Amino acid sequence: MRHQGGLIRRMLRTLSGHGGWLPGLLLAAGCLALPAVGLAAEGATAGPTEYRDIPGIGSRNLVWIIAQLHLLLAGFVLGVPIFAWLCEVVGWKTGEKRYDKLAKEFTKLLTSSYATTALFGGILLFLLVAFYPKLMNYLTDIFFPSFIVYCLLFLLETATLYLYWYGWDAMQDGGKKTFHIFLGLLLNVFAFFIMIVPNSWATFQASPVVIAEGTDLQRAWAATWNPTWWPVNIHRLIANVVLGGYICGAYAGIRYLSARTPEDRDHYDWMGYVGNFIGVFGLLPLPFAGYWLMREIYQYNQQMGITLMGGFLSWLFILQAMLIGVLFLGSNYYFWLGITHRIPGSEMRYRKPIMTMLVILLLCLGVWMTPHSLVASLEEARKMGGTHHPLLGVFGVMSAKMTVSNLMILVTFMSFIMYWRAGKEETAGWAKAAKALMSGLLVVAGIAVVVLGVWGYFVPAIVRINYFSTSQVLIVLFVMLTITPLTALLLKSAKTTTEMVWGRMPPRAGYALVLNAIMVILLMTLMGYARSSSRVHWHIYGVMRDSSQYAYSPALGYAAAFMALNTFCFCMLVAFIFWVATMGDKAKAGHGGKGELPHGMPAMAGGSSALDAPETRKF
Amino acid sequence: MSEVVKLQLIGLSVVGFGIVILLFVRAQFARVIGFVSIVLGLFSLVALAVPQMASLPPAEEKFDIATVKTPTDMAAIGQKIFFSKGQCALCHSIGPSESARCPDLKGIGAKLSREFIFESLTQPQAYIYLDYRHEGLPKEYPARMPYINKNPIGLSKNEILSVIAFLQQMSGEPISVNPSELEVPGQAPAAPVKAAESAPVAVAQAH
Repeated sequence: MRHQGGLIRRMLRTLSGHGGWLPGLLLAAGCLALPAVGLAAEGATAGPTEYRDIPGIGSRNLVWIIAQLHLLLAGFVLGVPIFAWLCEVVGWKTGEKRYDKLAKEFTKLLTSSYATTALFGGILLFLLVAFYPKLMNYLTDIFFPSFIVYCLLFLLETATLYLYWYGWDAMQDGGKKTFHIFLGLLLNVFAFFIMIVPNSWATFQASPVVIAEGTDLQRAWAATWNPTWWPVNIHRLIANVVLGGYICGAYAGIRYLSARTPEDRDHYDWMGYVGNFIGVFGLLPLPFAGYWLMREIYQYNQQMGITLMGGFLSWLFILQAMLIGVLFLGSNYYFWLGITHRIPGSEMRYRKPIMTMLVILLLCLGVWMTPHSLVASLEEARKMGGTHHPLLGVFGVMSAKMTVSNLMILVTFMSFIMYWRAGKEETAGWAKAAKALMSGLLVVAGIAVVVLGVWGYFVPAIVRINYFSTSQVLIVLFVMLTITPLTALLLKSAKTTTEMVWGRMPPRAGYALVLNAIMVILLMTLMGYARSSSRVHWHIYGVMRDSSQYAYSPALGYAAAFMALNTFCFCMLVAFIFWVATMGDKAKAGHGGKGELPHGMPAMAGGSSALDAPETRKF
Repeated sequence: MSEVVKLQLIGLSVVGFGIVILLFVRAQFARVIGFVSIVLGLFSLVALAVPQMASLPPAEEKFDIATVKTPTDMAAIGQKIFFSKGQCALCHSIGPSESARCPDLKGIGAKLSREFIFESLTQPQAYIYLDYRHEGLPKEYPARMPYINKNPIGLSKNEILSVIAFLQQMSGEPISVNPSELEVPGQAPAAPVKAAESAPVAVAQAH
C-alpha cells in the first residue's frame, strides 16, 4: 500500500505542471473518486491489494462509464480543432468570413470542453489507481517515460490553445493571420501526439511487446511501438474528424429546428451542410483504416482476430454494419435533401439518380448485415443443413461484405460529387472529356469491385485477403483521389446557374443530422467494447491475467445498454458545453438587440459578424 | 424474469418515452431528446435480439492426479480443455465445418504420432510448410498455430498430455499417454515426452 501511495503522490506531482486550473480539477476529481478507494479491497490480508470494488454499480461498470465518456470527450476536443482549423483555412483561402466565424464558434467551445475532458480524465485516473492498483503499477513501470512526455505535451497544447483562442481577433490580418493559421496547425500537431501517447498504453494491453532488458526508455519505446499502435492512431485520427464534423452538424440541426428568424435558419442550415460535408469527408476513408487495423490484429494474433470476427464478438459486427449503414444512409439522405431543397428546380433532374443510389445502398446494407451463421432453431438448422442459409449464407462471408462496403463508399462519394457540382455549369474546354473520364472511372471501379468480390469466392482466403480485398480498397481510394481534385479543378472555372438557397430544408434534415451524430457516437462506444473484449480475460493480453470477479466480457445486449447510456450522457454533456459557451453571447445579444448582431447571426458567433453581409453568404 | 427480458422492457420504455415526447411536447430541444431516446432504445432492442454470448474466462480444470487412474480419465479432462482453456475449438473443428479456419482435427490422433502432436503444440514453428497454391516454386510458411504452453493459452504439460489423449481417443486409436507420465506438483518431472526438440527443421506439405 505504501507503494500505491507513492504512485498517487508521484502522479499528482507530475500533473501539477498543467497550469493553474488543471490540478484544481484533478483534485476535485480525486475528491469525487475518493470514496471508492476505501471500498471493498480484495485480498488485503494476503499481500498487496490487486483489486478494489465499489458496491452497487461495481468497479468495472463505473470505469466503463467514466472511461467511455472521457474517450468520447477526448475525441470531441481533438476532432473540433481539426474541424475548426479546416474551416479557418477555407475561410482564409476563399476570403469567405463566415468560415472564419464558424471556426471561431467551435474553438470557443474548446476551453470549456478541455476542462471537462481533463476532469473526466482525472476521475478515470483516480478510479483506475483505486480499483486496479496492480495493473496500474505494472503500466506505470513500463510507461513512466511516456507519462512525462504526455504532461509536456499537455503544457504545450494548453499554451497553444490559449494563444490560438485569445489571439483570434488580434491576428486577423496579413502575416498575423498566417501565424494564427500556423498556431492552429501546431494545436492539431500537439493534439495528435496527445492522442497517440495514451493510445500506446491502450494498444499495449491488446498487443503487448515486453522486453526484459534495456533501459526504462528502451522498454517504454518497445511497448509503445506495439503492432496495433499505428493502425489505432490513424483510425482514431480519422474518426475524430468524423466525430467533430457530425457533432457540428447535430448542433446546427438542433439550432436549425429551433431557429425563429430566416437569418438563423440560413446560418444553421449552412452550418449543418459544412458539418455533414466534413463528416462524410472523414467517413469515406475510415473503413480502410478499420480494415488495416483488423489485418494487423490478425497478423499479431490469429486467435484474437477470430475472437473478434468469428468468435463471441462476431454478432457485434452485424450491429456495426447496421450503424455504419444507417450513417451512410443518413449522410446521403442529407445530401439528397440538400440537392432537392436548396437548389430550386433540381428535384426532377436528380430524382432518378437519387432513387438508384438509394436502392444500391439498401441492397448493400442488406448484404452487409447478413450474418455468417443465422439465428435458427434446431429444426430450421436441420432443414438448412446447418446454420448457413443456402442462399443468404453466400452474403455472410467477408468477400461479400468487403464488396458492398466498398460499393457504399463509392455511392456516397458519388452523392458527395453530385451535390458539389449541383447548380453549376462547367465552362472549361476540357470539361466534357473530364466528365466522361470521371463517369468511366466510376463505372469501371464499380464493376472491378464486384468482379473481385465474386472472384473472391473461388480463391483461397489468403489470396482474397492479401490481393483481392486490398485491390478493392486501392481501386476505391484511387477513384476518390482522382475525381476529387479533377472536380475541384473543373469547378474553379464553372459558372453558377442556380444559386443555393439556404434555410429551406425541411425539419427532417435537422433530425437526419442528429441521427448521424448518434450513429458515430454509438459506433465509437461499440468498437471500444470490441477492442476491450478482444483481450478476453486478460488485462494485458498474454502477460497479466484478469483475476478479478469481472474477468468476463458481458453479452452484447447488456453491453449495448451501457453504450446507449454512455451515448446519452455524452450528448447531454456536449449540450451542456454548448449551452455554457453560448450563454454569455445570448445575454449580450438580448441586451444589445439585433444591432449588435446584424442579419440575425447566431448569438454564439464571436466578433466580426458585421463582415458577413447576406450577399456573401452563398456557396 | 431474465436479465435480457428486463433490458428489453427498459429498451421498450425508453422508446415509448421518446414517442410520448414527440407526440405531446412542442419544445424543440425536448423533441430532439425524444428522438435520441427512440434511436438509442431501438439500438438496444436490436442488440438484445441477437444471440447473447458472454465470454467467460476458461474454467481451470482441477488436475487432481490422484483421481486420474486410466488414460480414459486423461482423455475426459483433455476434452474439456480442448473446448475451454486450450481454445482449440476457436480455430479447429472435429469433422468438416464451414466456420473452421484451421485444419480439421478429426482422426488426427491416428495420422500423427504423439511426439509430433506434442511438438506441434509446443513448437509450432518447428515445421515449415510448403504452399503449392501459387505459380512457380512453392512458398515456405511457418504454421500460424500459437505456442500452447505459453501465454495467453498457457497449458501445463499435464494438460497438453490430456489433450493428446483426447485427440487419440476421438480418432479411435489406443491412447498412448499414460497417467504415470503426469507431473506431480512439487516433485521432479517425469521422463520428458519424446519431442524432437533438437531435430532439424522438417518440411511437411500442405495441399
